[in-house]
Amino acid sequence: MIQIKNLTKKYGQKTVLNSINIKFEKGKVYGIVGENGAGKTTLFRCIAGLEKYTGEILSDFEILKNRLGLLLTDPFFFSKITGREYIQLLANARQIQLNDIESKNLFNLPLDQYASTYSTGMKKKLALTAILLQENQVFVLDEPFNGVDIQSNLVITELIKKLKATEKTVLISSHIFSTLAETCDEIFLIKNGEILRKVNQKDFSDLEAEMKEFSIGDRINKLELK
Amino acid sequence: MKKYFVLQYKMLNRKMIAFGIPLLLGYSLIPLAFFFLSKSLFSKTEFAGYLYVFLALGIISKTSEPKKNDFLKSIFSQRKYLIVRSVENFIWSIPFLTFLLYKEQVAFALALVLLSTFMALFNFRANTNFTLPTPFGRQPFEFTVGFRKTYFIFPIAYFLTFMSISVNNFNLGIFSMILVVLVCISYYTKPENEYFIWNFNLSPKDFLIQKIKTAITYYTWLCLPIIIGLSIFFIDDILFLIGFFLLSYVYLITTILAKYSAYPYEMNVPQGILIAVSLIFPPILIGVIPFFYAQSVKKLNSLLHDSN
Repeated sequence: MIQIKNLTKKYGQKTVLNSINIKFEKGKVYGIVGENGAGKTTLFRCIAGLEKYTGEILSDFEILKNRLGLLLTDPFFFSKITGREYIQLLANARQIQLNDIESKNLFNLPLDQYASTYSTGMKKKLALTAILLQENQVFVLDEPFNGVDIQSNLVITELIKKLKATEKTVLISSHIFSTLAETCDEIFLIKNGEILRKVNQKDFSDLEAEMKEFSIGDRINKLELK
Repeated sequence: MKKYFVLQYKMLNRKMIAFGIPLLLGYSLIPLAFFFLSKSLFSKTEFAGYLYVFLALGIISKTSEPKKNDFLKSIFSQRKYLIVRSVENFIWSIPFLTFLLYKEQVAFALALVLLSTFMALFNFRANTNFTLPTPFGRQPFEFTVGFRKTYFIFPIAYFLTFMSISVNNFNLGIFSMILVVLVCISYYTKPENEYFIWNFNLSPKDFLIQKIKTAITYYTWLCLPIIIGLSIFFIDDILFLIGFFLLSYVYLITTILAKYSAYPYEMNVPQGILIAVSLIFPPILIGVIPFFYAQSVKKLNSLLHDSN
């Protein structure tokens, strides 16, 4: 369980997260949705302990970050490191002994090629594979479906369901509502650094319609396309 | 074209300022340091000319980064692109050329001009199908990445060791060891992305110990051919050899600690000065190492969240 109490994050004078209060439970999948710049990534970085903040983030673990797998929107790779070495590096960091990485190559990635030569989607899949092999209890996935092909999208969706079934806590941010609707138990709507509301599964379709209306409105009509 | 070079000059200045070096000091001290290092190299070995050209070409090849070249090709015509690249390579070779001419090594100077111009014609695109194997895969990343970038130095170092044995010149053998340690030290000069520190479930102290252990193990592997060769053929100098080898460990450790003591930034001028002073007066390391260690623990604490 992770409990966030009065979490506030400021960059200088600018408040990026304002008094966030959320609870994430074990064995559940949570979606975080909001416009670009709403504060989703900052919230994830605070939970991971990559940012300083005011407020509290409590968890069942002595040090949350040591049991947390973080998938960044744009994972960073060294220029001359292979996919296999990247996985090894992240496993070493958590003292995990990895045997036979090949059999765990979920997305059939060319593991002996330099990771920096991978496409955007392949990089994301490699980073996801690496955090899955770290045996984490909490997964924070920032835009896991971005740039990923449709087949892998299906694999990731099933993977999230499997993580839920094995009692992991999963936090996802995504702009692809259908995948969130399929995997999440609850979705939090974030705007200007504040949680606007929490939406339960039964109300997902209403939220989607509402977001569509809010995002699109009559903007396209204004173009007067002929 | 002129704007491109003016921009490069501005970028160099910005880098120096970001590194904490006042421009006036930078433009006077860097050439001086370059001059004395070059002089020292030429006084150490008769193969300095070869090494010097090789070193210059190594630096020049760094300007042939494919993405940058693709960008230049997209904004300049083919003719202008070749001119820009040739001039750029020539500018980088000027310090080396000047010193070679000062040493009256005209043949090497000429070879450098020709080879650097020749290199402008090539785009050093990494072959995506070829991955250079390394023996360091169990503990990535510093040595795996570093070795792949500097692999060509090691045959040179081993060749120098071989030459030192053939011509019975112990100093040349020591020089080859200096070359290896400097290359290994260079693997620890740039700070890595925070994600690769954050991921460790170790305390700052254990994190640093692990980094040092890996560095020492892999450095020893790379130095082993030199140590074995020199200890067999220069048995009378074995004590000096061991002492020097141990000292190289100390400098490697100092660099690792200095790197994390500045994290997330690159090593700054005061740290550089401390290391430089320690090269002249090694006993100062007794104070420098604990200082860097304490600073490193402090800097790493925010990412590693030490529970102790």
